[in-house]
Amino acid sequence: MAKRLQASERRASILAVAKVLFADKGYHGVSVDEIAVRLAVSPAVLYRHFSSKQDLYEAVLSEIACKRENYVDVVVRGPDDFGGMLAKMTLMYVESVARDPDYLRMELHAALEGSQAARQFFENRWRPFADYIEFGLGELRKEGHVAGVDARIASLMFQGMVREALYAKIIYQADRFREYSLADLVKQLIAMFLRAVGLH
Amino acid sequence: MSSTNQGFDQELDARGLNCPLPILRAKKSIAALGSGQVLRIIATDPGSVKDFEAFCKQTGNTLVSSGQAEGAYEFLIRKAS
Repeated sequence: MAKRLQASERRASILAVAKVLFADKGYHGVSVDEIAVRLAVSPAVLYRHFSSKQDLYEAVLSEIACKRENYVDVVVRGPDDFGGMLAKMTLMYVESVARDPDYLRMELHAALEGSQAARQFFENRWRPFADYIEFGLGELRKEGHVAGVDARIASLMFQGMVREALYAKIIYQADRFREYSLADLVKQLIAMFLRAVGLH
Repeated sequence: MSSTNQGFDQELDARGLNCPLPILRAKKSIAALGSGQVLRIIATDPGSVKDFEAFCKQTGNTLVSSGQAEGAYEFLIRKAS
């Protein structure tokens, strides 16, 4: 018999198990019964916490999508140059994703299913990079360090590049990039990005 | 050095900016202040409340006040001596 849990503990355990299943199979590939079996409880227990499978799915997405990295430490410790700071932030981010690869799968599912959480993923996970690049390149342009770069498109380029590196190393585990660690791959991509926007 | 009679020496408008830009800009503004001077920051990012607490804890600057007014967050930070 399953151990009796406090309501908050039960809710957290449901979210944790549902996250793994949804990440693996997507929304349509998982039933409430399957989640209940995995938790060793009856489906009624799940419905006490979530009104429907959709409600549970949105809660899982929202919890993952709203996780934000804390970049305060990176800002305080520096480095202060645009590229150095971008590299530190990015490495912190990809290491965090590598520790929780279900996040990537859920982000993909959210995009394909047109979930509202897709926007939350952008706002919490990618927006800090988009804003940092757009603002940073804008300042560098004013100071005459870069010329003629569309900062918004540059931020899109950066996002696509890092996302693809995460897919290659974490989801596909691609043979083509086996000799690179995720950190090495990202460092090389950032160096290319900085050259592409006219820095270094 | 003491702050002016409006309670701060310099102001930073970080409205519309998201983490890590408010703290990054605050770090630059504080670097230009003298010891004991106060920076007022206005921000709209809800995450800035925790971010400025952590920022002050890590830098030794003092978070004199942290509040909310007219849909924005206001922080007063005194530069460490």
